[in-house]
Amino acid sequence: MTARMVPHSRVDEFVARLMEAAEVIAPRRVEGGDVFYGPISSPAEVAWDYGTAVEPLKRLLVPQRETVLRFSVNEGIHVAAEMDERERVFLGVRCCDVTGVTVFDALYGGDIPDPYYMSRRQRSILIALTCQQPPNDTCFCVCCEAGPFLTKGYDQQWTSLPDGMLVEIGSDRGLTLARAHDDLLLPAEPDHLAARYRLAREAETKFSDFRSYIAAAMRKLTMNEVLPEVWEQAADRCLECGGCTFLCPTCSCFTVTDRWEGPQGLRERHWDACLFRCYAREASGHNPRAELGDRMHARFFHKISHQWAQRNGRQACVGCGRCVMTCLGWAHTPAVTEGIRRGVIP
Amino acid sequence: MKNPYLPELATIQRVKPETYDTTTFTLRLDDPQARAAFHHRPGQFIELSVFGIGEAPFCIASSAHGRDTFDISVRKVGRVTAALHDMREGGQVGIRGPLGNWFPFEEVEGKHILFVGGGIGLFPLRPQIQEVCRARDRFASITVLYGARTPRDLVYRDELEQWRHQEGMVCLLTVDVGEDGWTGRVGVVGSLLPEVRFDVSRGVAFVCGPPIMIRFVTQDLLNMGFAEDAIITTLERHMRCGIGKCNHCMIGDKWVCKDGPVFTYRQMKAMMEFEE
Repeated sequence: MTARMVPHSRVDEFVARLMEAAEVIAPRRVEGGDVFYGPISSPAEVAWDYGTAVEPLKRLLVPQRETVLRFSVNEGIHVAAEMDERERVFLGVRCCDVTGVTVFDALYGGDIPDPYYMSRRQRSILIALTCQQPPNDTCFCVCCEAGPFLTKGYDQQWTSLPDGMLVEIGSDRGLTLARAHDDLLLPAEPDHLAARYRLAREAETKFSDFRSYIAAAMRKLTMNEVLPEVWEQAADRCLECGGCTFLCPTCSCFTVTDRWEGPQGLRERHWDACLFRCYAREASGHNPRAELGDRMHARFFHKISHQWAQRNGRQACVGCGRCVMTCLGWAHTPAVTEGIRRGVIP
Repeated sequence: MKNPYLPELATIQRVKPETYDTTTFTLRLDDPQARAAFHHRPGQFIELSVFGIGEAPFCIASSAHGRDTFDISVRKVGRVTAALHDMREGGQVGIRGPLGNWFPFEEVEGKHILFVGGGIGLFPLRPQIQEVCRARDRFASITVLYGARTPRDLVYRDELEQWRHQEGMVCLLTVDVGEDGWTGRVGVVGSLLPEVRFDVSRGVAFVCGPPIMIRFVTQDLLNMGFAEDAIITTLERHMRCGIGKCNHCMIGDKWVCKDGPVFTYRQMKAMMEFEE
């Protein structure tokens, strides 16, 4: 699919057109300077120069608390479900976060699709923004095939070049959108694409020494060769705060509760974390993973074993670095993968 | 797109106490179309809603043959089960399912069939026992070994009595602790295994009970010469969604809800590395 170019002077105009047709979610600076993905009310709000958003797109596709069913009692029980049917464009999304969504597509799609996720996802256009500089020294997407530039997973991928914004097309949806605005999105020249590939190669060399040896960890996890001490060390460091799981673009565990709001009953699902002590506890009190080390093992096996990579289409770490930023105990993914590789967590 | 989280309504037809803390509920889906579409096989489970309290998984405890209702047997142990125990005939619940995989049946024709149940582990085995008994001629032999903690904990007493006296079938009972009036065997269910007389190379064992019982019985069966693929169990786990999304029931590379709940010992062996 041919790439397009939008002159820098007309990018805002294109964003304004997107806003006419759909809710546009983009990186926005909030008070204090942090950047979150959220709905914008004007093209000027887009923080094009941002680093990493505090949170991935997860909350926007799977809210932390979501009503799954409404029920009421009136001569029998009545049950109903509602879907979120907003049309949305996710603009300026970092490559790691786009890749995170592709992992969610496998988890929430598959042979039994989750209708709440799919309803939002099918009405979403994902526009990636490439990283010409690693935004943080905690970034390691380069170890995870999740950036700094992508070759798949996006509807469109934008790269800022001196001449304008290069728009690569990654899907039929991305192509349809480009065609609908072909007065703005002009065909790109071969030089533009050459520049894009040069920038991608350069970007890959700019990452800090901070690395996550996912492949080595994957081999050991897959073959069950991880020393048990590694899980004990990880457990010693983990404070069970759940921060890494809630900020992770690919952590998707949830729990479900019922409650009443007057005569109206609600069934809601909430984010949960497999590292929490009661996560696997059964009604009888039996807890098959009472040990934190066992829960660590289960989490990392799900994230990066070959068994799960096969089921999800890829391993589930995208190298966004949020677990590194949030973990108070140095039990984040790069630390644990290094521990798996070396037999001791650094 | 069909919403797999949307329960069908069902009405409690019958409430039959099994023991002091377990009860069998007979359920019938309210909607005739849903009823006609509800095809279940032994080993499968449902997610049952007590609206306003919550949802929990229960194995279907009856064979589908010849009836448009199904049974679940429930121990009163948590919030949902307590609320369910407070319900009576005519009460409405929500049902999602049938979910999960099922016990092999056609695949084990011609074999010696052994059931080993511990306590309420007999619940998921019951539909398979019923189906196997109904097709008695298609199997070399049928043996049911069942143990409970005390005589008061024995479930499905009427049916146990029937199986004990049924021709072409062996059914032996034991309790861990005898009480006044109990004249039967005393000992863990594994102590009945020496009574197995058939050629184990042609045997298939269906095992369900508390984790510790599954562990020991499985080891005994292996020692007796059962193949790893011929030891079949059904696992229970904390589950929320029942369709492999919430991840609560995950063990290793399997979701108990979607890849199971029925697993062979060969599969279980790899999963056991993830837990104590």
